[in-house]
Amino acid sequence: MTAPAASPVVRFAETRTFLDQIRTRVGKVVVGQDVVVERVLIALLTSGHLLLQGVPGLAKTLLVAAVSKTVDLAFARIQFTIDLLPSDIVGSEILDQKTHEFRTHKGPIFTNLLLADEINRAAPKVQSALLEAMQERRVTIGNQTYPLPAPFLVIATQNPVEQAGTFELPEAQLDRFMLLHRLGYLTTEQEKEVLRRNVALGVRRDGKGAVARTEFDALGEQQTGSSEQLVRAMEDVQQVHVSEAFLEHVVEIVNRTRKHPKLELGCSPRAGISLVKSSRARALIHGRDYVLPEDLFALAEDVILHRIRLTYEAVAEGFTSQQVLQEILSEVAR
Amino acid sequence: MNDVGMASKHRLAAFVAAVFCLLGGLLAQARDERKAAVGMRSAIEQLVLPGSELTTAPTTLKAPVALRIVKVWPHGTTFRYDLEWTGLEAGTFDLAKFLVRKDGSPTTDVPAIAVEVASALPAGMVEPSELQPTPAASLGGYRTLQIVAAIVWGIGLLAILFVGRRFRRPKAPVVAVPTLADRLRPLVEAVAAGKSDTAAQAELERLLVAFWRARLGLGEQKAVDAIMTIRRHEEAGGLLRQLEAWLHMPTPPRDVDWAKLLQPYRAVTAESFAPIAAPVAAAKPAVAAKEAR
Repeated sequence: MTAPAASPVVRFAETRTFLDQIRTRVGKVVVGQDVVVERVLIALLTSGHLLLQGVPGLAKTLLVAAVSKTVDLAFARIQFTIDLLPSDIVGSEILDQKTHEFRTHKGPIFTNLLLADEINRAAPKVQSALLEAMQERRVTIGNQTYPLPAPFLVIATQNPVEQAGTFELPEAQLDRFMLLHRLGYLTTEQEKEVLRRNVALGVRRDGKGAVARTEFDALGEQQTGSSEQLVRAMEDVQQVHVSEAFLEHVVEIVNRTRKHPKLELGCSPRAGISLVKSSRARALIHGRDYVLPEDLFALAEDVILHRIRLTYEAVAEGFTSQQVLQEILSEVAR
Repeated sequence: MNDVGMASKHRLAAFVAAVFCLLGGLLAQARDERKAAVGMRSAIEQLVLPGSELTTAPTTLKAPVALRIVKVWPHGTTFRYDLEWTGLEAGTFDLAKFLVRKDGSPTTDVPAIAVEVASALPAGMVEPSELQPTPAASLGGYRTLQIVAAIVWGIGLLAILFVGRRFRRPKAPVVAVPTLADRLRPLVEAVAAGKSDTAAQAELERLLVAFWRARLGLGEQKAVDAIMTIRRHEEAGGLLRQLEAWLHMPTPPRDVDWAKLLQPYRAVTAESFAPIAAPVAAAKPAVAAKEAR
């Protein structure tokens, strides 16, 4: 716990402007996903990986691309498919025909912001290769170990597991993701706004021909922030004060998930750490230099829900993890 | 081969045939069983009787001998018989008395065919032994047995439920579950007096949120939305903001009069948690509203 001396308004003014710029810029392209943008920023500021879950067509990829273009970050995207190999992600050693020596070809994982699109479409060994790199932030190609660039953040998207041709991520691998955010459909007004913007996109001339412009074309290449600003924001997150009372609340919630009769698997200690880390980032985004229970309750679903598992009896009785978590959160504040 | 050799061979064959015939005749010697035990079947074969063909006389159930003519052959001017007889009573009997002529002529010229039937039992004994009366097996009563078994089982079960448990378990003292009001009051007193630890302060914060969630009827709302609504409430908002500032800010305000601020909560009862008349409409902030979507 740290108690900074300077006023939070002064200390975090620059960071807040930087974060607001990102939100505004992304908001110009992506409609009505303020919460998701906030979650991406939280992941970015805490180096915690983010898993976005939602049906296709909810602008998950566009959102991540928008964030990466807004900040000066190297961006790579991997579309996960069933025939993807671990070497397609981490890289491999290639025999140079001229020198007759092996040279290392680094894979797309060597980037700052990696978008793992539809991660649950790949075979488990590919998923585990990525998740290992996420955990250790380094990869081994041949006999050589290479550190991944800093910052390194994986934003993965996955379709709901009920969809055909998907491999469900096991609990141990889901636990590596600090946040799992479930995207819902837009409201009627937001949906209309999406259509209005799409109608106004027009066409893009390309040589002698032209193609219809997409939302990706509307992103532009101009960046609003530097990586240095991002680093300062990450440092500021570490200055956000966490009270003893807040830790009491976190431990209370985590313990309740472990003792709840409807839950077979409760939160790991990593879940508690993630709650605190993400709450600090959220507090900074909301202009505070201290966390509040509000941060905890707002992020609990994204941090906890993918880390708990219902008992067989609870599933048979028709309960969902979401219902049980809300029950726990309500009981904490009851 | 010469004629002498052939003749000697014929002689040998004739000799062998004669030996076989002699042996066959010895083996096929007619049976002439004139003595038998009661109930045992005996035979008299190849018996030549004079006169016309005979047959068995009509018999009765009381006849001491049962006679049957098995086969009859003509034998010159007479007939040859295979007889089979069974003595039913001990004694000496003439089988000729049980024969009649087929043509109805008298049988005076038929010689006596005496047979002797012996009994294996002692004299005068008609039956092997007297029947001894045995007790009859009990019939029925299975339903009664079932009813008795069910009653015994039920008594055993009741004994286990009420008597056994009473002996095994000492009566647990009935402990009333503390209400939210019961939990809130001592925490308010401790904080107001400045004698609370961090755990108590955190619990006080949770209980005050619970108090106002109940009072404002926000039980169905998500926890984060409920907190945002409470913060905007005229009465509850001030308390919550000050409490949050005191508990969570790096430099908490020092001029808070906790005794005065917590005064209304010192006398809370279970009824105090009842929803107030006009529940506050959920004033969701922008982010919270989107999260609820």
